[in-house]
Amino acid sequence: MADLMNTAERAEAIAGAAEPFHLLLGPTSARDLLAWVAAELGDASALDRWFTHGGARTKALAPDVILHVVSGNTPHAALQSLIGGLLLGSRNLVKLPGTGLGEVDEFFLRLPADLRAMVETSVELPSAWLSSADAVVVYGSDQTVAALRARVLPGKTFLGHGHKSSLGVIWHDPLFESCPGAARDASLFDQQGCLSPQVFYVREAQPGSAREYAEKLASAMDQFSATYPRGPLAIEEKAAIANLRAAYRFRAAGDLRVVLWEGGADLDWTVIYEEDAWFTASPLNRVVFVKPLPPDLAGAMGPAVDYVGAVGLWPCTEELADRFAALGPSRFCPVGNMQDPPWTWHNGGVPRLASLVKWVDFEPSSSLTI
Amino acid sequence: MGGMVAADLWEAEVLRRIGPAPAADFDQILSRLHSFHYTQNAPYRAFCQSLGVDSLVARWRDIPCVPQSAFKHADLRSFPAEETVQTFRSSGTTGEGFGQHHFRTLEVYETAVREGWRHAGLPSGPFLVIAPHPEEAPHSSLSHMLATLAAKEDFIAPGGVLDLNRLRNLSGPVCLLGTALGFLHLVEALGSERIALPAGSTAMETGGYKGSGRVVARSELYAMLGEKLGLVSEDIINEYGMTELSSQFYAKGPRGLHESPPWVRAVVVDPVTLRDVADGETGILLIYDGANVGSVVGIRTQDLAVKRGDAFELLGRDPSALPRGCSRAADEWLTL
Repeated sequence: MADLMNTAERAEAIAGAAEPFHLLLGPTSARDLLAWVAAELGDASALDRWFTHGGARTKALAPDVILHVVSGNTPHAALQSLIGGLLLGSRNLVKLPGTGLGEVDEFFLRLPADLRAMVETSVELPSAWLSSADAVVVYGSDQTVAALRARVLPGKTFLGHGHKSSLGVIWHDPLFESCPGAARDASLFDQQGCLSPQVFYVREAQPGSAREYAEKLASAMDQFSATYPRGPLAIEEKAAIANLRAAYRFRAAGDLRVVLWEGGADLDWTVIYEEDAWFTASPLNRVVFVKPLPPDLAGAMGPAVDYVGAVGLWPCTEELADRFAALGPSRFCPVGNMQDPPWTWHNGGVPRLASLVKWVDFEPSSSLTI
Repeated sequence: MGGMVAADLWEAEVLRRIGPAPAADFDQILSRLHSFHYTQNAPYRAFCQSLGVDSLVARWRDIPCVPQSAFKHADLRSFPAEETVQTFRSSGTTGEGFGQHHFRTLEVYETAVREGWRHAGLPSGPFLVIAPHPEEAPHSSLSHMLATLAAKEDFIAPGGVLDLNRLRNLSGPVCLLGTALGFLHLVEALGSERIALPAGSTAMETGGYKGSGRVVARSELYAMLGEKLGLVSEDIINEYGMTELSSQFYAKGPRGLHESPPWVRAVVVDPVTLRDVADGETGILLIYDGANVGSVVGIRTQDLAVKRGDAFELLGRDPSALPRGCSRAADEWLTL
């Protein structure tokens, strides 16, 4: 049983199983995973033995059972969540989307038997799962998160990851060096994840530089697409992109403040320059907007300001991060690295392991009180 | 020939052809309407030119379809602005604004409403309407359409307060008209009460639930109306229409197909190539509305549909489209 494995042994086994998922997960060595435990719990073996905590000793207690509810468009979120649960040594119930998730199945089969015994998956949500879980982690629409939150008993741990939109801010890039990275950020996972930028705001050193950036980004999107083609589209996804293109084509015909770049015969990618800074949600699947950076970006985000996931910056400096603090993201990172969050990323603004554990403290007898 | 005279002529030409049977020269009329709009309507002309289409098209199917959302951004008016007698607005969303459809005359619009209703074989009344009257919703095309069919005293929810007494003690069959949300509110207002409408009563629902956060399947709504009002599912009609059109489509029963009136063409096409899809396949709906004499003929909707012979099975908006729709305006009004 996994109970007999300590954290380091589990990290080793997980890292082995995660190897083929490098593109989805980023670096996932046993060392990376243990560093994550140490960063969040204060000690890499906090789950295995007592360690010093102030004047006392303490130990982390993982939940016996974690229920992960994951949505269809984010296989990497599903794997990250499951890996966190396995690392803690909990039993993991994974509710997969109706269509299943091949990545989770493959990862499961690569686990050693000890850890495999700690994972159960289902495309339906047995009601017993909700009542037996000590902690519930949900990735999905705001409605899904709210509906499940209502069904979880108070006192149990609940982590809801609802819908998020991400964006990039190009503060100073006269040579357009950020474009290949911006194209990668907006193309990987076909924009299905919460870290996928939908709009790049470009500070205009001179009038027209945002538009020029859009043109350069379009060519970078084209290059990325030649190497990594977009995944297949359902008819409604096709319709959404084609309709958006048609709408902007109409506008571009009579309005110089709108320019459209369309890649490929089959909706491969789309870049839309629009002078209006109002945040426009992308229909996803490699459709990205470029707009001039307005003086009040948080205001231009409108209602979307409550749903900001990550903000890519170029250059990525603490000063700029402080300048855009009002956007309220849980992550500032360089443009080009938006899809590579470290394991220690506070997804949704909370530590992902530390939020799941409870603590037991131990105070040794002291000669003073005897 | 001045623009005003041409507009008068075109209104008369179109009026003559809105009727129970397709006009023999209807296809040419659509193409010639395109030429008229091309000369009168600058944003439309710029759009056509960007697609390499000029004022003459060989077939009606070559008429460019304006995206529905264009009504939000451009003044798609094929007559001088000062001759506008009515403007209908689509309900908007934050930041996006609303679409506007301008009219130089309502005669064509109202004729299309009445003839379309008759063509679909729908009852000629008496009506009871669960939606705001045009006096309360002056920019709602749906309210105007309902007021074209029914008299003012048939509107049974003035000020948003539903008068259930109007449904009780009816002496003969009635036809209820309203939004799907309005009907849902009616069902909720009834609580545990059941009102058996006189045999032969019917209902027409429209508008969906966009933006309300509620979705009820058509078959489920019809079952509720059956249980609460004694309506037979097959006697409930769905109307599909939009602010940007002058004509409507009707489907009977929970699984009914929508059919076009004779002066309208609806085509299900591949969203990318805009070629017709094969029978039974899904695509987006293009609509060529011959009654759109004062705006543009061809509209590219954001709705998905399955081609079923000459009719279509409506699947509805693509999921990414912004929440909007006439049912929403009525919902806010009913819950005031």
